[in-house]
Amino acid sequence: MSDDKAATSRRDFLKLASVTAPAVAVVAVTGAETAEAAAVEGSGGYRRTEHVEKYLESARF
Amino acid sequence: MTLADAVQDMTVAEEDVLRADLYDLLAALLAKPPTRDLIDRVAKLDGDDGELGRAIRALTSLARATTEATAEREFNRLFIGAARGELLPYASYYMTGFLHEKPLAVLRNDMAQRSIERAPNVFEPEDNIASLCEMMAGLILGRFGEPETLAGQKDFFSAHIAPWAGHFFADLEAAKGSLLYAPVGAIGRAFMEIEREAFRMEA
Repeated sequence: MSDDKAATSRRDFLKLASVTAPAVAVVAVTGAETAEAAAVEGSGGYRRTEHVEKYLESARF
Repeated sequence: MTLADAVQDMTVAEEDVLRADLYDLLAALLAKPPTRDLIDRVAKLDGDDGELGRAIRALTSLARATTEATAEREFNRLFIGAARGELLPYASYYMTGFLHEKPLAVLRNDMAQRSIERAPNVFEPEDNIASLCEMMAGLILGRFGEPETLAGQKDFFSAHIAPWAGHFFADLEAAKGSLLYAPVGAIGRAFMEIEREAFRMEA
């Protein structure tokens, strides 16, 4: 059926393009890293007091 | 639809899990300076002789030679800087020349429809490359609900990533401040081409 044929060729294409190459290690790489962009840690030299939190909250846009 | 078809639909195909892994890898490298742990794990990757495989091997060999401090300095120079980094990896910036533009608004609408939320302690616009890669991985694997269909993934990719990500990764590859991140650019550029081509096959 044409559906199966299309699916097979996409799968083959991805295999050929070696998206499969980094497989094993990448799964290990990304294990627990829910990489949310640029989480603000308190490393900038200020303490995350309630006052600072309120400012950060008001700065969200 | 037969029972076999139904079972097929419920699991994510292997090649799609691997696509998601690659999106997750790019997201991890681009979200924040790589930790020692991430550098060590990247150093263990391998690739074949294709364009993508060669880029991965280039990244691997540089990862083996880099330190956490060097990687952080490079990341900051590329993406943070004093006022801005060398590069601005945002869809709005690449598509309009400005930040916080219509592409971000369109993305936010799409995210709302797909039940994707920005994490509570994150203050960066959602249309950055790391978050978009993370969203693609999540759509593929079903982290926001059911795994997204290929048609749905293609819609998301075409709207929010395809118009600009290839250009960004090429810029990253060529950036003055790029050393460890040059092959990250190469990987991203090659992968975007693969994704574009693979989605075309699903037409």
